[in-house]
Amino acid sequence: MESVGKIHPSTLSAKDLHWHILWDKDKCTLCGRCTAVCPLRAIELGVHQKREITVKLGLMEKPGNVYSVYHGIDQVTEPAHACIGCGMCTQVCPNSAIYPVLNEEIDKLRYHTNSGGEPRRRGGRRNDAGSLLDRIKFIRISMLTDPALDAGRHEFELRTLLGRILPPEEMIEASRGNSWMPPVREIYPLIIGAMSFGALSPNMWEGLQMGVAYLNEEIGMPVRISTGEGGCPPRLLRSRFLKYVILQIASGYFGWDEIIHALPEMKEDPCAIEIKYGQGAKPGDGGLLMWYKVNKLIAAIRGVPEGVSLPSPPTHQTKYSIEESVAKMIQSMYMAWGFRVPVYPKISATTTSLAVLNNLARNPYAAALAIDGEDGGTGAAYNVSMNHMGHPIASNIRDAYLNLVKIGKQNEIPVFAGGGVGKNGNLAANAAALIMLGASGIQIGKYIMQAAAGCVGSETDRCNICNIGRCPKGITSQDPRLYRRLNPEDVAQRVVDVFLSFDSELKKILAPLGRSTSLPIGMSDAIGIDDYHAARRLQIKHVV
Amino acid sequence: MNHQEKIIISGMEDGTRIETRVLEERIRKAVERGYLNIEVQAFGQHGIGGRLWNTGGKPVQVSIHGYPGQRIGSMGSPGTYIEVHESASDDVGWLNAGATIVVHGDATNGVANAMAQGKIYVAGDIGARGMTMTKSNPRFDPPQLWVLGGVGDSFAEFMAGGIAVVCGLGSHYRGNILGHRPCVGMVGGKIFFRGTQKNFSEKDAKLVRIGDGDWEWLTRNIREFLEAIDRSDLFDILTSERSAWQLLVSLEPHERNGTKRMPMDRFRSEVWETELGRGGLIGDLLTIDRSPVPVITTGELRRFVPEWQNNKYLSPCQAYCPTGIPVQKRWDLIRKGEVDRAIDLALEYTPFPATVCGYLCPNLCMDHCTRGEVFLPSVDITVLGKASVEAHDPTPLPPTGRKIAVIGGGPAGLSVAWQLWMSGHEPVVYDRSKKLGGKIASVIPHSRIPKEVFAHEIERISEKVTQVHMAEDLTEETFRDIRDAHDFTVIAVGAQTARELRAKGHEHTVSALEFLQLAKADAIQVGRQVVVIGAGNVGCDIATEAHRLGAQDITLIDIQEPASFGKERAAAEEIGAKFLWPVFTKAITAQGVELASGEILPADLVVVSIGDKPDLSFLPLSIDVKDGFVRVDERYQTSDSKVFAMGDSVRPGLITDAIGAGRKVARTIDALLKGTEETFDQLGVIDTRTVRLEYYNPRDERPTDIQACSFQCASCGGCRDCGLCEALCPQQAISRRDLQQGGYEYVVDSGLCIGCGFCSGACPCGIWELRENDPLE
Repeated sequence: MESVGKIHPSTLSAKDLHWHILWDKDKCTLCGRCTAVCPLRAIELGVHQKREITVKLGLMEKPGNVYSVYHGIDQVTEPAHACIGCGMCTQVCPNSAIYPVLNEEIDKLRYHTNSGGEPRRRGGRRNDAGSLLDRIKFIRISMLTDPALDAGRHEFELRTLLGRILPPEEMIEASRGNSWMPPVREIYPLIIGAMSFGALSPNMWEGLQMGVAYLNEEIGMPVRISTGEGGCPPRLLRSRFLKYVILQIASGYFGWDEIIHALPEMKEDPCAIEIKYGQGAKPGDGGLLMWYKVNKLIAAIRGVPEGVSLPSPPTHQTKYSIEESVAKMIQSMYMAWGFRVPVYPKISATTTSLAVLNNLARNPYAAALAIDGEDGGTGAAYNVSMNHMGHPIASNIRDAYLNLVKIGKQNEIPVFAGGGVGKNGNLAANAAALIMLGASGIQIGKYIMQAAAGCVGSETDRCNICNIGRCPKGITSQDPRLYRRLNPEDVAQRVVDVFLSFDSELKKILAPLGRSTSLPIGMSDAIGIDDYHAARRLQIKHVV
Repeated sequence: MNHQEKIIISGMEDGTRIETRVLEERIRKAVERGYLNIEVQAFGQHGIGGRLWNTGGKPVQVSIHGYPGQRIGSMGSPGTYIEVHESASDDVGWLNAGATIVVHGDATNGVANAMAQGKIYVAGDIGARGMTMTKSNPRFDPPQLWVLGGVGDSFAEFMAGGIAVVCGLGSHYRGNILGHRPCVGMVGGKIFFRGTQKNFSEKDAKLVRIGDGDWEWLTRNIREFLEAIDRSDLFDILTSERSAWQLLVSLEPHERNGTKRMPMDRFRSEVWETELGRGGLIGDLLTIDRSPVPVITTGELRRFVPEWQNNKYLSPCQAYCPTGIPVQKRWDLIRKGEVDRAIDLALEYTPFPATVCGYLCPNLCMDHCTRGEVFLPSVDITVLGKASVEAHDPTPLPPTGRKIAVIGGGPAGLSVAWQLWMSGHEPVVYDRSKKLGGKIASVIPHSRIPKEVFAHEIERISEKVTQVHMAEDLTEETFRDIRDAHDFTVIAVGAQTARELRAKGHEHTVSALEFLQLAKADAIQVGRQVVVIGAGNVGCDIATEAHRLGAQDITLIDIQEPASFGKERAAAEEIGAKFLWPVFTKAITAQGVELASGEILPADLVVVSIGDKPDLSFLPLSIDVKDGFVRVDERYQTSDSKVFAMGDSVRPGLITDAIGAGRKVARTIDALLKGTEETFDQLGVIDTRTVRLEYYNPRDERPTDIQACSFQCASCGGCRDCGLCEALCPQQAISRRDLQQGGYEYVVDSGLCIGCGFCSGACPCGIWELRENDPLE
């Protein structure tokens, strides 16, 4: 019907879409699972006519027509239902009769994802598989020069410090009780970064938290996790597990009154407070939890009524300068826990990072700075913000570290890096590279979603529908029909697996450097890159 | 030579230390010469006592005094017995392949590293990394390391075989006899030890009970060890208490996979929920079940739910029929063999099912037939229309005694009257003509509608409504009388006044209405040449009538592309009428029509057919008029709430428009009289994309047989009971159920349905709708 019907400018054919559904009629048993599972109803049962022209050899009889009808799986081509390539159809197909493939040609869909004048919004990632971090090699391998360590045998102190380290003379004064000693946490250098309760499903969020608790209590790894902005469940606030949690406060201040109410009942202090000023994936873009995702649960945790949209503005309303942001926010957050909990800001990587860092360096209360690079992920953002805005993390973190070196404070204020770490699966290598560029620790988000929960998103614009609540894996949905696909225990187990294997891999990288007692933060003589300009820019070795 | 004769080889010659290479050569030469008892005065030389395989199979004793260097007895051979009388340096017995090495003092790091056969006895402590990377070759006895004291850190790393015995006597190591992190990477062998250890690698090794066989081996061999180090006195101390000994063995490969961590489900119940409370993180906030579900689900966990939306949407034929006749329902009845009901059904909607549907209507239902979207011929309603002449009268509702005046006996007025009669009211039709039927009766040519068909249908209604023949034209006064005498009054006077042509000489023309009335009565001479000004459908009717009356040269002119279409246009073209446009009339003379271009179209008769307008001179001021027509709201109510107006008096339209308006007016009046809510036509039209036309033969032609027509109907929005959904549902969730009150329905067993939507995709009629399931919370 489509083919003879009217067309309008946004009428697309399957050929114009980003993902094609390949369906094998011979293998298909018409079981209905693929259409039942498709998040976007991008496929449906279609009715087709088959025509055969019957011609008797010799043309002795009049040729005839034989028509028959068959049913098959059709791809829907309306932009709103365009296949996202998640491959759930393939997953449920008993006969491997259906799977999505990437269009070899640049799709035409992209010109039509702005119906009603609303630009495309999506979740996920930047859609650029390139990674400078992947190209950094560890070129200092101790052969006979240093006592070579064995990653399998030797004990490594893979810990980092989150908090302000005083210079020695001040430290002595403070330890004598003559001045304030800033709180410092000794934590595992790989941190699960900010993903809010709301952006993530309850089962996903609980799975991550449970995995972190397990790592701490059963394995002895002091792994920490940031709540993201969206509050923190009251039970967690009142549990001992709170000490594994970095509470985030952002421009929406969601859930913070619940946190304040829980203060008198807290058994433990949280690990730290992260003040979010920006997100690497979408710098300058705020968050928006649509009203239909604000169900009873989300409302309770965020301390808002049900069914209202929750915008997190791109900026905090009452802060007009770096000085004010730093001084006012950091002071307030320190006060909340009686100056016992480290407080640090998190910003998008930007050319202005150094201005922030220098300001923090002058503020004795600033516990750290977290910088989030352009390859970070997000639950929802404008396509343009995600694809075209932001600063790569490597050079930004390097600048920050070298700047601290210049002012002699590289051992005093730790800098944490995030955004695309492990974007192509090379988590330990990317993390180690950033550490050697100068990061004291690493924040991850997407990686843990992929590894711990089976997120299928990729840099080829696969899935990336975190924003519409239809996550086929139940990671970013508030719909129990979807999030119950995810068992929190399984997520927790995967979190444990990921951290243990990361730990082994990181040791494999650090052991040949002969480092086992402290992280090789800023140990840039150990890394090189095959790109001359990148090497110069990062002040690391150019290796060819 | 007496082989028992001892040879003393010194590592110092003439006050100078000799190189390892030279000492090694001298020791090997001595052995070659047959010496089997060698005393070495060592001065730090490396690897003393190794590689002494050239003894012809006889045992050789190497007794080392002084200061031996590293790797005593390295690569030691079977039959070599080395005794170190002081303490030894690193790597004693390195890569030992069979020598027995006795150290009477302590030994430093790396004792027995990579040892494969032989024995090492140490009378004191050893340093770090003892017994590392040792192996057991099945061709030989396993290597042994005996330490009287304790061992340093990283003991037994990567130990792959052999037996180590650590007696823990007189050790400098206090409280941790096996050192820090022993057994990392251990994959084979046994470690007997006496005393406490702290942190062996549980990933690699395990403590096991010392069985009788092991104990027997230990007590037997310990005697040999103690003799070698001259401490047989300790035998009783070391063997008196079996429980003082412990045994470490490497984990079997199958034991390694299951590391002894707490399973996550236990962690969740015993740690997580113990701290947080039942239900975990949000157990206090949520009552709904969050337990895992499969990807494919049924019941309330389905994401999509199919619904059998039978007759919830109008088929396009019904939706676009101004009269609102349920066309597809009638075809459905015919398919089910209920031809009579199908035919009778039409009378519920129109008093003229044959006249209009069968002949006069342009059949908008067919224009909008879904089949047309793929170039299939639309279902021919005229077949059913023509058959409807046989329809049986419906039974009206009980009389209400309410009277409604209907002014005008044309199709509009009669439609209202017919509907009001069915509702039990008493319509009174006022008309200037004695015969009911309006323009159908007086104007439309016989060629378009067989006399007997119309006569039959007009007869049917005439029996049922009261008629008042008005001798005079309606005045404001008579109108007011009528209005006051009835519950409601409906103005259906039609458009009877011709629009005037704004050109000189219009007195030479005849109006369309006048012409058609006269023509129908055969009461006009047309001459040879006729010009019709206005080439719409009425103009076409004029042309065909003029031809019937003898005109040979007929021209229709228009100022724009003629709006005529369908049967009228086809008939006019068939009789050879010419269409001229765009042309503008300047004047009409006795000769004919003079055009603005100066051209003259000769004519014996000029008929003006540029539309009619109603004569509303009788209307009181209380009823608003706009642009020459009565102003009404969407329910055809005028500014006087007791008065309705419809048909051509409101706006020009098709007969079916007038009939449909009549239904609407009657339903509105009925609702007002009965005090009920008027629920007219609230259903939306079906999205025809849900109707599947692939089930129909694309080579179908339009049949004339009523049965064959009915099977061509795609039954948009109305279930045709084909059973396809039942057959197709992969879950066998759909079944057909007879209803008690008659009829049937298709139902879904939600316990089986997975929400695949196949029913919706396959349904020929677009009945199954797949909707998102209701939110769970």
